[in-house]
Amino acid sequence: MGNKQTIFTAQQLDAYQVSQEKLLFHRYRDLAPQLVPLDYTNQPDVRLPYELIGSMPELKDNPFRQRIAEVFSEDGEGNMTLDDFLDMFSVLSEMAPRDLKAYYAFKIYDFNNDDFICKSDLEKTLNKLTRNELTEDEVRMVCEKVMDEADLDNDGRLSLEDFQHMIVRAPDFLSTFHIRI
Amino acid sequence: PGRQSGSLRAPNPGKQTLLWLVEVVKPFSLLLFLFLVFHFSQRFTTVVPESCVLIILGLVLGGIVLIANKKQLYQLDPGLFFLFLLPTIVGDAGYFMPARFCLYGAKMAGVIDDNVEAGLMEFLLFGALISAVDPVAVLAVFEEVHVNEMLFIIVFGESLLNDAVTVVLYKVYISFVEVGPGNVLTADYFKGVASFLIVSIGGTLVGLIFAVILAFITRFTKKVRIIEPLFVFLLVYLAYLTAELFSLSAILSMTFCGIGCNKYVEANISQKSRTTVKYTMKTLASIAETIIFIFLGISAVDKSKWAWDTGLVSCTLIFIFVFRAMGVVGQTWILNKFRLIPLEKIDQVVMSYGGLRGAVAFALVVLLDGEQVKAKDYFVATTIVVVFFTVMFQGLTIKPLVKWLKVPRSTNRKPTINEEIHERAFDHILAAVEDIAGLSGYHHWRDKWEQFDKNYLSKLLMRKSVYCKSELWEAYQKINIRDAISVIDQGGNILTSARLSLPSMASRTSFPEVTNVTNYLRENGSGVCLDLQVIDTNPGAKVEEETETHHFLAGNLYKPRRRYQSPYSRHFMTLGDQERQDREVFQRNMRNRLESFKSTHYKRHKKDRSQKKARSHHRLSHLRLLLTPRVKPTKSQLKGELSEPEKDEDVGITFVARKAAETPKERPKSVPAALEVCQSPSVAPPSPTCGEKNLPWKEGIGALPPCVSVEATKIIPIDLQQAWNQSISSLESLASPPVPQEPQHPRVSALHRLSVPPRPPVPPPPSRAKFQFPAWKDEEEEGTLSQQHREMQPLMPSLRPPPPPPPPSSAQSSGKRRNPCVYLRSLVTTPPSGSMPHSRGPTQL
Repeated sequence: MGNKQTIFTAQQLDAYQVSQEKLLFHRYRDLAPQLVPLDYTNQPDVRLPYELIGSMPELKDNPFRQRIAEVFSEDGEGNMTLDDFLDMFSVLSEMAPRDLKAYYAFKIYDFNNDDFICKSDLEKTLNKLTRNELTEDEVRMVCEKVMDEADLDNDGRLSLEDFQHMIVRAPDFLSTFHIRI
Repeated sequence: PGRQSGSLRAPNPGKQTLLWLVEVVKPFSLLLFLFLVFHFSQRFTTVVPESCVLIILGLVLGGIVLIANKKQLYQLDPGLFFLFLLPTIVGDAGYFMPARFCLYGAKMAGVIDDNVEAGLMEFLLFGALISAVDPVAVLAVFEEVHVNEMLFIIVFGESLLNDAVTVVLYKVYISFVEVGPGNVLTADYFKGVASFLIVSIGGTLVGLIFAVILAFITRFTKKVRIIEPLFVFLLVYLAYLTAELFSLSAILSMTFCGIGCNKYVEANISQKSRTTVKYTMKTLASIAETIIFIFLGISAVDKSKWAWDTGLVSCTLIFIFVFRAMGVVGQTWILNKFRLIPLEKIDQVVMSYGGLRGAVAFALVVLLDGEQVKAKDYFVATTIVVVFFTVMFQGLTIKPLVKWLKVPRSTNRKPTINEEIHERAFDHILAAVEDIAGLSGYHHWRDKWEQFDKNYLSKLLMRKSVYCKSELWEAYQKINIRDAISVIDQGGNILTSARLSLPSMASRTSFPEVTNVTNYLRENGSGVCLDLQVIDTNPGAKVEEETETHHFLAGNLYKPRRRYQSPYSRHFMTLGDQERQDREVFQRNMRNRLESFKSTHYKRHKKDRSQKKARSHHRLSHLRLLLTPRVKPTKSQLKGELSEPEKDEDVGITFVARKAAETPKERPKSVPAALEVCQSPSVAPPSPTCGEKNLPWKEGIGALPPCVSVEATKIIPIDLQQAWNQSISSLESLASPPVPQEPQHPRVSALHRLSVPPRPPVPPPPSRAKFQFPAWKDEEEEGTLSQQHREMQPLMPSLRPPPPPPPPSSAQSSGKRRNPCVYLRSLVTTPPSGSMPHSRGPTQL
């Protein structure tokens, strides 16, 4: 659960972060060695186009690849700067607070960026998860169920509060939602 | 039977053992009786751990024996123990170990040898043997209170390897003791460590080699099923002996042989052999363990066997606790560095507390050589006390402790739909991010291994036709098909095709007012429920609906990773994962077939219609669009028919299934629609009379698609055969009205008689074909699915063409011929969606 606090001294934390950032930077650079300069002191304005990330063979099957890139990129179109890249991992790191994670998860679901998960978002999610193998009726039915379960204020869409509430209720929900680098 | 197999397995290890076996027969009968009783009373074991009961039993038995004979008759013989008892226990554990646990087990293996007491060699030795933790009791408790999966896996993994490691350590120390404490140099310690490594790694290797051999052998035992179990036992045992021969760790060898060969052997040997192997192993292990516990009880009563030393006993107890706790904490600390989800404090407490000492420890201490280890009697006493204390006290208290500490349980309630979806989504997101970061993810190596396994190992070690079905399976399938046919034949008037499609989700949702399928069927007079999933309970509508949602979500969400939860008990069987999967696949397939029954049937009608009807009709044009792969005017209709069954298999039934899913929409409305359209001039059905309109469904059902009939006649009961043939012939006559195609008929059927299976005339639309084998299925399931198809194939070449259509002269058949048209029209001519609020658009395709 979220009450597990990791305590670092400031130094340790710095060292930890620096080493991680280095690692991530190299990873970032590996994605496009020709685009990303080694020297980042001048904060060059470099973006990795989404096509580069989306075409990674490992991601070929992942239904959320585009959405992830979009959510975490600053311009909202999946073109990621180094900062975006680092942000993504810090959100998913163990130390990130749970609310932050919930917020980003929420954003990933929110396909049309209206700060609510509405039915169309849910349907999209579901179709992605099932590879479009449900009929419309089935999708609709599931969406109704989800709404039934989670929509507390009955406005027909899920707000961030609804979403958080739902996640808090499930014990080991976000506990797995982090990666280690 | 267990006793017999136990004694039969002993070839001739020496007169002593034989004698022992003879002697033991008498108490054995008592023992077996008690054993039986105890196993019957499951309720009892939920309160008291199994080992507890066994020890008490042993005490009682020992008391009886002591009173009767005044001296101890039975004692544990090292040869017996190492040759027979231990192998059975370990072999059982190894064979039943789900492969995934290996890693955790390996990680945790070190936990146990931590409470080695410093000091004399003897104490080292004692430390080694006393650290043999027996987690069976703990596991039973865990399973009962549903602790979380992680904890379960870890303790389980530990349990599997600790026996082996303990024995290895024990042997190393014994060799030290033999040399004598004074002669042990520093170098010898290193040698000890090295030999420990060599012994265990070597043993593992031997085990794996034997696993490969065993798997390879079972590949060729198809003709002689009866020796399969024998091979399994012999080779696993041989692995044990071979390792022993090279003085490697026989236990590890055996464990790994069991683990390694399990998958391939299970696939290769027949169902019966599998069952035999399983049960024999369980029986043997149970017996071996019981014997040891009984011995424990007996020797606890016999005073000559042990000497009491309070200091030693109390120290040992304390040290056991402390070192176990230290070991656990230390190891979890290391583990937590690598683990995604760190182990919590509570888990550690439970793990420390779960260190029950069991049969192995006792057996080892009894086997000590009294000449070399002077303090043997003390050790025996201490071990007995420790075993008693841990098993009795800790075993009884661990359950309340787990409850009291509120160890995170595995949630028993079903996850809500939200959770189900979101968790899956999170998994995907995580996988994506991991991939972006280029991490070798959580399961990277496992995936690699699976790849390798699939590409090379399986090909080498598994039989080609390994997926051949068990007989039970086939029988089940046959019965199912027959049921379906009889339903259509007899109850057909009620069970119209619309209702046949009940298993599909869409049809359920399209009948919002009908929430309980079973009831629905029953009300309508049919006793046969086609949905294999439907249970006869009658819960509230909402619950029902939710279950249904869960059900198909579970089927359709595709998984980035797999999860295993495998309960393990030394004495009870659990349903294999594979079997469950098989069943699921089969059900799906069956469902699809059922739906294809009637949807081909629809199609045929629609085909007729579409050829005759005006193209302008909106609905119709849509249908034609749907049917384009099938309706090719240039094709000979008969040929199309004959090849239809094959096409069905090839194309992927779901194409039809999906179509079927739509039909229920139209059903309720179709009756008025049909009547309406009857009068309309644009639709000119071939003379439907008013009388026929009254029974549209009844007659319509007679028109079964030939694809069903051809296949089904093979299993249809004799008494039904005639009726069946009639319906087919009527259908045939129905199906071939277009005159110009008539001449082609003989040629094609002749061609077919030569059993040249005609290729499907129309290549299946690629998208649909893909649908049949959805990519999200894990490969195993996929394999089974495709195998299901392969298994159907043999039916195809042997297809006899249906009996040549008799001239449609009989009144009965002519009646049948026309009526379906009414039926069909009612379906086809459902007015465009505009006029009817509920009718669904064609968008789903």
